[in-house]
Amino acid sequence: MFWNQLKNELLKMFARKRTYIGFGAFVAVEFIILALLQLPKAKKAFVELLTKNGYGFEEYYSGITMAMLMILFTIFLLGGLYLSLVSGDVVAKEVEEGTMRMVLARPISRLRLLVIKWLACVVYTFALILFIGVTSLLAGVIYRGGLGKLFIFAPQEGIFGLFDTGEALWRFGRGMFFLALVTQVVSTMGFMFSCFNMKPAAATILTLSVMFVDFVVRNMPYFQDIQKYFITYHTAGWVRTFHDIVPWWSIGESLVYLAALNLTFFIIGAMRFCTRDFKS
Amino acid sequence: MISIRGVCKKFGGRVAVDHLNLDVPRGQIFGMLGHNGAGKSTTIGMLLGQVYPDEGQLMIGGEDVFANRSKALGRVGAIFESPSFYDYLSGASNLRIFCEYSGPVDAKRMEEVVKLVGLEGRIHDRVRVYSHGMRQRLALAQALLPNPELLILDEPNDGLDPEGIHEMRNLIVKLNREWGLTILFSSHQLNEVQHLCTHLAVMREGELLFSGEWRQLGLDQAWIRLRVDRQAEAEKGLVGAGLVKSFSAEGHGMLGPDADVAKVAEWLVHGRFRIGAIAPIERDLEDVYLAMVRKEKDEG
Repeated sequence: MFWNQLKNELLKMFARKRTYIGFGAFVAVEFIILALLQLPKAKKAFVELLTKNGYGFEEYYSGITMAMLMILFTIFLLGGLYLSLVSGDVVAKEVEEGTMRMVLARPISRLRLLVIKWLACVVYTFALILFIGVTSLLAGVIYRGGLGKLFIFAPQEGIFGLFDTGEALWRFGRGMFFLALVTQVVSTMGFMFSCFNMKPAAATILTLSVMFVDFVVRNMPYFQDIQKYFITYHTAGWVRTFHDIVPWWSIGESLVYLAALNLTFFIIGAMRFCTRDFKS
Repeated sequence: MISIRGVCKKFGGRVAVDHLNLDVPRGQIFGMLGHNGAGKSTTIGMLLGQVYPDEGQLMIGGEDVFANRSKALGRVGAIFESPSFYDYLSGASNLRIFCEYSGPVDAKRMEEVVKLVGLEGRIHDRVRVYSHGMRQRLALAQALLPNPELLILDEPNDGLDPEGIHEMRNLIVKLNREWGLTILFSSHQLNEVQHLCTHLAVMREGELLFSGEWRQLGLDQAWIRLRVDRQAEAEKGLVGAGLVKSFSAEGHGMLGPDADVAKVAEWLVHGRFRIGAIAPIERDLEDVYLAMVRKEKDEG
């Protein structure tokens, strides 16, 4: 029965048009970024960065590099937005529309219902990140006419990486997997707020606010020493998989930190949901 | 089937249900009557485990709703006023989704229930295009699909047209008589409850004013509305003659055991009263409340 209930939850989620806003928006943004990268100024910066370091522009200005750029530019803002949009809906929308009362007239326990809903959020997060990864790669390949070699520059993480095609593809796939793992915290936070007595939009806005405030405060010079206490420091952990020598200890630390946050958010949401009264 | 003992519920400082004790025996169509805000929906919410009581215990089929939710609610189907569905999905998908929260759905059973509620031609349409009546029938189907023993209907006729109300009424009677379902029916419309139920509970401001059989309420008594030129003299005379038991302040009289409108009219004509109006009347919820409040005062 559990699998049927999860399947039904996914059907509810993926039959809604708004679930696909994120997918559509990412495709649109990918095209916009590719168009902007055509601008001479953008290209010039890229050429300078590579040639000054003794690398060939054409070799590394490739499909997979374009894909990586698109993801780095967009994931924090758009990823956060669409993950919190769907996860903020998952409970609050049902309460708002009245279907939650119909569900809660059934013999299912509230905790089990929440576990199913949270798992649906996990699936959505993986689906969205997979989609972003595949479409970015496709767009990049179409734009540059092939995969090519990967160049990745992430100064905040101290990454200046160059990889051959095979290695690049493997690292890209692995990076997407870790990206899906770390962004789960955004979904779970949206899910937690969704369990409270608030409108779905409020749950989305609250989640985004927490993420933005965390990001802004983390980047203030005064807080450099306590970086590891910020969520966005740990969500950036996926980029560290592109270090020449991958700092697995640091990535593992981030994953454990985020897993603990996920668990905390889930427990808080569940405690609120399981003790709430549901009335028309 | 249902046993409610000492249940209280407050929302903020407002008492929604006040020390409620109620029993609904198996096999009955039991009406819950009361104005909006009387505490009916809160009581139903507590019975379905959606609202936590501050005090007291609620049992369905001998199982505590909060201690053993899956067993207690496993035998219950429920409909709410203006039921909500996943409008972007078909009626069939909605049925499957709701019912798989209770257990596996048998395709044959689904077909049978869809036919019973008369949605067989439209069950694969999206719920978005359903009329209010169709949504109500779909709600009934989702309540019936897990094969319940108890059906809880919270104002199921709200928003239905007269034909829809008639259909729903017939269906409820059929479900009780042929399928043997116990039905708890909540409404603020006296005539609806009167048509369907043999037993009822009357609630007001969270308190149970009455619980028992219809006849105990005296609603089967005939009432008349009377307007004559010498009103006070006529009322006094009719009571004295045993044709009317008593008159309310509005000039409504409860007829005596052998009296009817014709006999009252005959008496008035004989007494040379000038008759403005004399007509049988049906009592409404307000009259029931007033009668009960009066009764409580008299007994107090």
